[in-house]
Amino acid sequence: MKTSPFQQTLLYLILAVMVVCALFPIYWMLNTSLKLPQEVYNIAPTYFPKRVVFTAYQQLVDKFQFLVNIKNSVIVSVVVSVFSILVSMLAAYAISKLQFKGRGMISKLILYAYLMPHAVLFIPLYIFVTTMGLSNSIWGLIVIYPTITIPYATWMLISYFGSIPVAIEEAAMIDGCSRLEAMVKIVFPLAAPGIAATAIFAFTLCWSEYLYALVVISDSAQKTVTLGLSDMVVGDVFSWGPLMGGSIVASIPVVIMYLVSSRYLVGGMTLGSVK
Amino acid sequence: MTHSKVYPDAAVPRRAQPSKARQDGLLAYLLMSPALLYLLVVMAVPFLWALYTSFTDKTIGAPAHFIGLQNYLSLLTDPGFWQAVRNTLLFTAGAVIAKVIFGMAMALVLNQNIRFRNFFRVLLFLPWTIPSIVSVFTWQWLYSDVGGVLSDLLMRLHLIESPLPWLASPSLAMFSVILVNVWRGVPFVGIAVLAGLQSISHDQHEAAMIDGAGMLARFRHITLPGVREVTLLTAVITTIWTLNDFEIIWLLTRGGPANATQVLSTLSYTEGFLNLHIGKAIAIAVVTLPALIWLINYVTRRSLSDSNPAH
Repeated sequence: MKTSPFQQTLLYLILAVMVVCALFPIYWMLNTSLKLPQEVYNIAPTYFPKRVVFTAYQQLVDKFQFLVNIKNSVIVSVVVSVFSILVSMLAAYAISKLQFKGRGMISKLILYAYLMPHAVLFIPLYIFVTTMGLSNSIWGLIVIYPTITIPYATWMLISYFGSIPVAIEEAAMIDGCSRLEAMVKIVFPLAAPGIAATAIFAFTLCWSEYLYALVVISDSAQKTVTLGLSDMVVGDVFSWGPLMGGSIVASIPVVIMYLVSSRYLVGGMTLGSVK
Repeated sequence: MTHSKVYPDAAVPRRAQPSKARQDGLLAYLLMSPALLYLLVVMAVPFLWALYTSFTDKTIGAPAHFIGLQNYLSLLTDPGFWQAVRNTLLFTAGAVIAKVIFGMAMALVLNQNIRFRNFFRVLLFLPWTIPSIVSVFTWQWLYSDVGGVLSDLLMRLHLIESPLPWLASPSLAMFSVILVNVWRGVPFVGIAVLAGLQSISHDQHEAAMIDGAGMLARFRHITLPGVREVTLLTAVITTIWTLNDFEIIWLLTRGGPANATQVLSTLSYTEGFLNLHIGKAIAIAVVTLPALIWLINYVTRRSLSDSNPAH
């Protein structure tokens, strides 16, 4: 479609404003994390670090236990996303490819579980974890985080599996494959990009979770990245340097994962909404 | 679901029909059993137990006694509760409306023929990808009254004369927490609406142009109706998430100053984990359920009718 030069200029101007609004806070995070502490606490903020230093990142290790936090988050997120994706693949295959009584109701329940907010569930889950004797341990989180990731992953995978033509499976079954063989040898490999993207996204959901971790864990050796960050605020005293450095470190893995999998995630999103 | 029939009868030549259907049913439940069992034990049972607890005087570390509707009745007469209800509605309405407007703008811009479109799409998507807690702390730093860059920028532009009390003033604090939620949430709406926009065919626009429809007319009669469904669905999903946002408000203001930003989720946390009244805390969360169920039902109806995943 043709647009006039004036419209072109206006378009890029609006785009520029949007990019600045979206990125300035992120730039500020980076900017702060590379300054010396004295410079951070200047009354008048400086828009570029006078000298680029990594003091803030050093403090994450020396003053705070950020490496421990990262280790805990990695363990929780990996274990939960692997477990969830395995369980969800089976459930999603059944819902998407098999005819059975109660299918409508079960897919509805899965969506309910996915959309049910954490603010409603955090007390029941806290009590569950306490009853199991798992409070104050990352195992408590490993037990409850699948309540977030299983409904999400199942819901995503239903649509990925649904996009695989039934004819391919039928052909395999006529050739003598059983249903389960067709599932493992045909459907799962064909849906592999979608499965990987869903697993990655499940990882980021665990990595970024805060409320459940806040109520379950108080022992600092068991704290995850989000709790580690919030611990850098003591009363009214904010350690902005390490806090922003830690924020950068906590964001990098999830941003990379998004970039890698976004093609499939957006694909999955459009798959439904375009119909 | 669209696939009403999983495979035609002819595809399974050697077996009798009834037993095949039963086998499928059995296999389906077998495959679903790990997920369903897990969700039953860790989600459904604790949830129902909590529902019961909201009818007791349960406090942390003490046994519960059944007290009927007392928790709910005491909420009805508690002005703090009603303020939280009002704040929740204000926060949600303000944030959702702003997210839909800016998200639509983002989608419309990204749908144009611009250079490096994918690159810009990724850039604009970043605020949604970083962990929520990271965006909260970053904004807290932007808002800071000492060394905060937001006030500094506005002062350099001569829009204000002294630093603004972004989070300390009751009248400004609600705006500030909404702004953070909007900053984070716009990309989600934007990407979803963009997907809808891309499904509108070019032919429609061109036909309308040949018929002499101007830009505004085309927007009103082709673009808007074309993305109405997906926008509405996205708005409802965003509403569900915003209604129960906890992190932004809890970390920025703890519901203050003077309860100006106290919403139901923060009130529930305060009641449960600071005042240790578990029963009452759950009652506060339960109060939001009817509205929530209504919204989720909308999403379920819409999504399941086109086998359309919400995310």
